Amino acid sequence: MSPQLTLQTPLQLPPAEIPTYLEQLWSNDEQGDKGANTFCLIVWQPAWIEQKLVKTGKISGPVVGSQRIDLIEAAREIILEGDLPNSTSPLDFRVQSSIQSEELIEDVEDLRGQYVDTSISNLQPRRLITIAPTIEKENNLETLVAAYCPLPEEGGGKTACGDVIVLRGNKTVINDGLKIVETLVPNELPSWLWWNGRIDEAPEFLDALALPNRRLIIDTALGEPIVCLNLLFQRIKSGQAVNDLNWLRLRSWRETLAMVFDPIHRRNALDNLEKIDIDIEGYQTVQGLLLAAWIADRLNWKLEDCIYTNKDQLKVSFLRPDKTLVEVGLTSLPIGKPSINPGQIVGLRLIAKNKKKNDICVILASESGECMRLEAGGMARMELIEQVVPIQKSSLENDVARLLSSSRGNTSPLLASAAPIAIEILDLVNQAN
Amino acid sequence: MSMPVTNPLRIGLRQERVIPPQCLVIFGASGDLTHRKLLPALFELFKQRRLPSEFAVLGCARRQWTDEIFKEKMEEALSSQIEESPNEWEVFSQNLFYEPVDLQQPEHLLKLGERLEVIDKLRATHGHRTFYLSVSPKFYGSGCRALASAGLLKDPKRSRVVIEKPFGRDFNSAQSLNSLVQSCAQESQIFRIDHYLGKETVQNILVLRFANTIFEPIWNRNYISSVQITSSETVGVEDRAGYYESSGALRDMVQNHLTQMLALTAMEPPGHFDPEAIRNEKAKVLQAVKLANEEKPWECCVRGQYSKGGSDEDPLLGYRDEPGVNPNSTTETYVAMKLFIDNWRWQGVPFYVRTGKRLAKRLSEVVLTFREAPVHLFDAAGGCPTSNQLILRIQPNEGAEFSFEVKSPGSGMRSRPVNMEFSYDESFGEPSDEGYVRLLADAMLGDPTLFTRSDEVEAAWRLYTPLLEKIEDSPWELPVYQYESRTWGPTESDLLIGKDQLLWRRP
Repeated sequence: MSPQLTLQTPLQLPPAEIPTYLEQLWSNDEQGDKGANTFCLIVWQPAWIEQKLVKTGKISGPVVGSQRIDLIEAAREIILEGDLPNSTSPLDFRVQSSIQSEELIEDVEDLRGQYVDTSISNLQPRRLITIAPTIEKENNLETLVAAYCPLPEEGGGKTACGDVIVLRGNKTVINDGLKIVETLVPNELPSWLWWNGRIDEAPEFLDALALPNRRLIIDTALGEPIVCLNLLFQRIKSGQAVNDLNWLRLRSWRETLAMVFDPIHRRNALDNLEKIDIDIEGYQTVQGLLLAAWIADRLNWKLEDCIYTNKDQLKVSFLRPDKTLVEVGLTSLPIGKPSINPGQIVGLRLIAKNKKKNDICVILASESGECMRLEAGGMARMELIEQVVPIQKSSLENDVARLLSSSRGNTSPLLASAAPIAIEILDLVNQAN
Repeated sequence: MSMPVTNPLRIGLRQERVIPPQCLVIFGASGDLTHRKLLPALFELFKQRRLPSEFAVLGCARRQWTDEIFKEKMEEALSSQIEESPNEWEVFSQNLFYEPVDLQQPEHLLKLGERLEVIDKLRATHGHRTFYLSVSPKFYGSGCRALASAGLLKDPKRSRVVIEKPFGRDFNSAQSLNSLVQSCAQESQIFRIDHYLGKETVQNILVLRFANTIFEPIWNRNYISSVQITSSETVGVEDRAGYYESSGALRDMVQNHLTQMLALTAMEPPGHFDPEAIRNEKAKVLQAVKLANEEKPWECCVRGQYSKGGSDEDPLLGYRDEPGVNPNSTTETYVAMKLFIDNWRWQGVPFYVRTGKRLAKRLSEVVLTFREAPVHLFDAAGGCPTSNQLILRIQPNEGAEFSFEVKSPGSGMRSRPVNMEFSYDESFGEPSDEGYVRLLADAMLGDPTLFTRSDEVEAAWRLYTPLLEKIEDSPWELPVYQYESRTWGPTESDLLIGKDQLLWRRP
């Protein structure tokens, strides 16, 4: 499935004229079509690394704002050339500052906002508003608008049309033009904000766009863990609907772990867990913390203590309902070729003590090498349950489309319960330090 | 420590689709189906947080109830569920409303329209309405017409109508009902419900076949020698004598539930998982099904009626002795038949279907028997090797089992059959939903995958109508054989399958 472009070249209009233009656009429809009755999606789409790679000629243009293969490969090369740690994710902000070049290409085509992934266009959004900040220091605000009709892939089928609006320019000029966004959001439809960047990169823009009644899509893998978790926690606490792509990527781990304990004869082992080890790529700990918090919440454990034993290892202890201590370790591994998303879980080990029968050791890992690592230390003497958890291959856009289509927009109750525990762990760490 | 019922790590992991704001209008709200199935299913959906906050149920019936009386009646009917979740009921019951409606009175429909407008404003349901006709089948057509005349079905995107079984009594009546209903609403608005399709295990037939590569290559005449589809009940006619006398097992069970199971078992793979693609394939295979002997249907169909049985301590009445049943009734409570499917995949493979009341066990299953190995190399413990069988258990003990030959322990090379089992209860950490939970949610979501389309219904009636006509015109050709209550049906049924050197499975 190839991403789709708008059918007509977007019209560049002064910001003030856009609402009138859109009104005319729909009122002139001969069939009385008022556009899709679906949702409005606002996208913060900085694509900093892509912009810089295209402008320095390291990859070819145009800038589209997707995680294309050539972009990821080029970013990995920058990590090697720039002497960044091997476990640096290709989307890490340090990659951007390591891209060195004498000259920048001037005229780079920028199709952000006009290049709509099929998984999203299939949902027939009524309005897509893309905020596309540029790396140039001096430029004017460009506002583009176009009608847009997703084409059915297999012919036939009626599609409902919508429109796309792009606000492009450097941060200063975008900030000036930001007030127009609210006038463009249809009141009668649910609106979403997809913050497709680091959570801590532009808090003033995030605050301005993520209004309390707007459904928020963020990725807590991008940004400082404490900032990401704080934002997640605060927004959930305020009653805002928050959807976290990092949490969504945990689904295969949560599903596989639940599957291990689905057979009734294993159910008792959940009451006897004494040790959990979670291995993650690099140092972005949010996903690992959310997994530990989810398990603790589901099994009704209470947080007891938390310390960093060294830079690479965080130890957390919980109290089970029967007052037995459970030790949870979060270990950062220096993976050579990490996944696109920082801090992904690569291994999970649970040990349940059983006085009457053999102890049980559950090992879930993203690859067999990690299985072997976790088996070490005599684990195979126990009743060993091992499974390789399939690596999530779905694209960022697919994940977002999944949220847009499958969520009623509210925060997952499981995430809402896990987030406070995860933030509590980091608070304890801070207190200990 | 006591064993938890549900896997705590499983809770909340299901990826459920979003039901849009909705007002569910139930006609026949004072009836049995509403309090036994529909309201419990809705309450379950509510407890699972699958209903939107903009939701309302409007009960409609001829009785002059008020909102309060309706709530009280439903509270009474759901008392055991409410006992477990009183707080949830408190919130859920605020969404229950009632309007006295006689579908034959146009002014009542106008009043209903006004009430719906009020509910739309009160509950922000945005005009999304699902009308559920849980009324006598004779009102299906006029009910749809009344809704259409009142303009309540005019928005095909926001209004739909759910129609219970039976959809017609034969091919002609089904065809007329289809054209009447289709004159009131678009086919995409019509949801003909068959609660069997709401069962996880029935849906699992699709997943088993089309999500695994090992089954599809052997799912054809080259490897499968016969298929048995059974749905048996231990109960008798109970308090449904009035309805049952005019329908019988063929109309009550075979034309809908068993035929749907057959369609899912025999259909070709759809190009993609899309409601129309699936229903196209089901309709195609149903159009290819025929009685094994259309000229002499008595050669391929056996009818039966339960007679008395049970023990001295617990005697069971025969069908003709049941209250409300004609003492000379010739209505069948059991039917077994042999069918063929005229297509490349299934040519020559007999499909045996049977259903009955007061049989030895309550169960529903599909059994695929594979061809014997071409050469018997080993002695079999039972004399000759048993054919491999794949058994899809629809209920109870939902799951599947596969029987195959293994070496019997010892110095010789004797084979014997063993079973490989999968059980839903043991494999999954949570119980399956009732069929109505799934189907009500799907109807409100506008997903017709598990509902029967007009051409499917007509194809099924076209298949059985000659048989029904024969039963009415010359009943002596298809007599009703008596069988003792709580046995596996009349001997003639065993002879039917015995002609092909086969046996009914006795699970």
